Amino acid sequence: MEFFLQQLLNAVSLGGIYALLALGLAVVFSIVALINFAHGELMTVAGYVLFVCILYAVPLPIAVVAAIGAAAVAAAATERLAFRPMRRADPTSLMLTSFAVSAILKVLFQNGISARPKPVPLPPELSGTLTFGPVRLGTVPLASILVTCLSLAALTLFLKRTVMGKAMRAAAEDFQVLRLMGIRANRVIAAAFALSGMLAGISAALWVAQRGSVDPLMGFVPVLKAFVASVIGGLGSLSGAVAGGFALGIAEVLFQAYLPEAALPFRDAFVLGVVILILLWRPDGLIPAKTGRRS
Amino acid sequence: MTRTRRMLTLGTAMALCGWAAVGAAGAEEVTIGLATGQTGGLAPFDQPSLAGFRMAMDEINAKGGLGGKYIVTLDIKDTRSDTGATVQAAQELVAEGVKFLITPCDADPSIAAGQISQAAQIPTMTFCGTTPTITDAVGDYMFGSYPADNGQATLLAQHAIAKGYKSAYVLKSPDSAYTLRLPEYFAEVFQKLGGTVAGEGTYSLGQQDFAAEVTKIAALDPQPDVIMTAAYEPDFPAFLKALRGAGVTAPILGSDGIDSPTTTGLGDIANGIVHTTAGFPTDGSPLGEFYAKYEAVTGAAPETVYVATGYEIPYILDAAVTAAGTMDGPALRDALANLENVPVLTGSVTYKGTNRMPLRAITLVEIQGGARAPIETATPDPALVPAP
Repeated sequence: MEFFLQQLLNAVSLGGIYALLALGLAVVFSIVALINFAHGELMTVAGYVLFVCILYAVPLPIAVVAAIGAAAVAAAATERLAFRPMRRADPTSLMLTSFAVSAILKVLFQNGISARPKPVPLPPELSGTLTFGPVRLGTVPLASILVTCLSLAALTLFLKRTVMGKAMRAAAEDFQVLRLMGIRANRVIAAAFALSGMLAGISAALWVAQRGSVDPLMGFVPVLKAFVASVIGGLGSLSGAVAGGFALGIAEVLFQAYLPEAALPFRDAFVLGVVILILLWRPDGLIPAKTGRRS
Repeated sequence: MTRTRRMLTLGTAMALCGWAAVGAAGAEEVTIGLATGQTGGLAPFDQPSLAGFRMAMDEINAKGGLGGKYIVTLDIKDTRSDTGATVQAAQELVAEGVKFLITPCDADPSIAAGQISQAAQIPTMTFCGTTPTITDAVGDYMFGSYPADNGQATLLAQHAIAKGYKSAYVLKSPDSAYTLRLPEYFAEVFQKLGGTVAGEGTYSLGQQDFAAEVTKIAALDPQPDVIMTAAYEPDFPAFLKALRGAGVTAPILGSDGIDSPTTTGLGDIANGIVHTTAGFPTDGSPLGEFYAKYEAVTGAAPETVYVATGYEIPYILDAAVTAAGTMDGPALRDALANLENVPVLTGSVTYKGTNRMPLRAITLVEIQGGARAPIETATPDPALVPAP
C-alpha cells in the first residue's frame, strides 16, 4: 500500500510536468494549427539563461524569472521571424518550419555555446526530501506539483478574465470571426507564442532542476512527451493537454513500477500501446478541441 | 594558342613548386579522413576529440609529418551524428583515397563506416567508441583508441570487492550498448570475484524520471551494498537526486560518462561517488601538462578528457607509421596491431595481443566536496576482463 501510494505520488508529479509541457504546445496549436517542435529549444534557451544567472550568482528567484522571460521573448521572436511569414501556409509546412527552427537553434547552441552540457548547480536545499506519513517527496517533485497547479490556475484566470485571454479562446474557435470583431490577429498570435514560451520556461526550470545541467539537445525528449500528451488529450484542447499529460505520466510510472523485470526494457512500448488504445477509443483525444481542426 | 601556352606555363610552375615543396622536406602528402559527428547527438564527444586530434596533427606536421615523412592534410566531414550520413561520408573519403579514417565516438556509425574502409583496406579508428565489439564486428582494419567498456567494468568490480561490498544493484538502459553492456560486464566480473547481484533496474535514455525506479530500490530488503550504473547526463544526476531523495544511502559506482562538471556541481549528494575516467590531470603529469598547454594555446582549459584522448590518436598513428615505414593499408594495419607500450598522455597504449581495442590504463576517481581525487590508475587484468 505504501509502495502504491508512493508510486501514485510519483505519477502525479511526473504527470504535472508533462501537463505543463503539453499546455505549451496546445496554446499555440489551438490558434494557428501549428505543432511547434521548436518548443523544446525554448526550454533550452531558458536553461542557458539559468546557467548564466547561476554562474554570476544571481539569486535563484530572479534567475528563474529571467529564464521564463527569456523563453517568452524567444518564442515571440521565432513567431516574428519564422512563423509569421508562413502564416498562410498549410499545417504541414508550418510543422516543417518548426523542425527547421529547432534544428537551427540546436546547431547555434552547439557551435555558439558548447556541445558539452553546462552544469546548473542548484542550492542544496532544493535536493531535500519531505516525509508525509508513509510517503516521501523530494523538493523538486513537490515543487513541480505546486507549480503545475499554480500555473494551471493562473492560465485559467488569464483565459477567462482578461480581454486577451478571451480573444485567444475565441481565436481558437473561429479565427475569422474574431478578426471581424476588430481584434488584431498579429497581437493575439504573438501573445499565444509568448504564453507558450512562458510555459516552456516554467517547465524548463523544473526539468533543469531535475537534471542539473543544460545541453543543446535537451529539448528533444520533453517536446516528444508533450506531443504524445497533447495527442492523447486532443490536439489544441487546453484541458485535453492537461488530461493527456497526467495520463502519460501515470502510465509511465505505473508500468515502470509494476511490469515484471523481464518486460521492463519494453516499458515505452507498453506506454505507447496504451496511447494507441486511447486513440482507438477516442480518435480525437480524451477531451477534443471545439473546432475539430486537425493537422 | 596563347591560352594553351599560359596554361602550360602555369601548370609547369605549379608542378615545380609542388615538387620543390616535397623535395625540400623529403615528405609525401597524404590525406586522413574524418567522418565524425560535429553536430547532433555525438557532438559532445566528437567535437572535443577533434579539437585534440587537430592540435596533435599540426604538431606532427610541423615536425616533418607522420613517421617523419608523411605531411597530413585532414578532410573533415560532419556526419550530423547520423549513421546514414556517416556511411556516405566514409564512402566519399575512401573514394578520395584517404590513408586512414576516423569514425565517431559511437558503435553503430563506426561499424557502418568501418565496413566500407575495411573493404578498401584502409586502417580505421573510432574516436572514443568504447563498445569492445566494434573492432570484431568490422574486421582487422578497425581499431579502438579509448578504454573499452569491459575494461572499465573490470576495474569497478575489483574496486567494489576491495571495498568489501557483497551485493550490488545494477541500473542499465537497453537504449545504448554503453548503458546496457557496461553494467552487465560489471555484474559478470563482480560475480566472478564472489559478489552477488541484488537486483537490476532499467531506464530510458533522456527520460529523467527515476521516481518509480528508486521507489523499488528503496523497498529492497536488505539494501544493496553498492549501486552500479553507466548512466550519464541527464539521467545520472536525475537518478542520484531521486535516489538520495528516496532515502537510499548505498554508495554509487559510475563510469566515464559522468566525468563532467555537472556531477561535481550536484553538491553533497555527489560525495563518495567513484567512477572511471580515461585519465585525471595532476600537476606535473603528462596529462596535467597537456591541459596547461591546451589552455595556453586555445585560451580555455579542456572541458573534458576527450580532448586529450583525441590528441593521443595522431601520436599512436605516428608510432605505427614509424614502425611500418609506410602508410600502405596492410602494412599500417599490421604495425598498429603490433604496437606495444606506446607512451601517451594518460599512460601507455598496447594493441599487441588484443582484439584491437587497446589495453590501456584507466583511472578511478572519487568525488568529495565538489572535486575529484584520483584513487588509483591501473591497467585491467586481461584474465579478468570479460569477453566482448
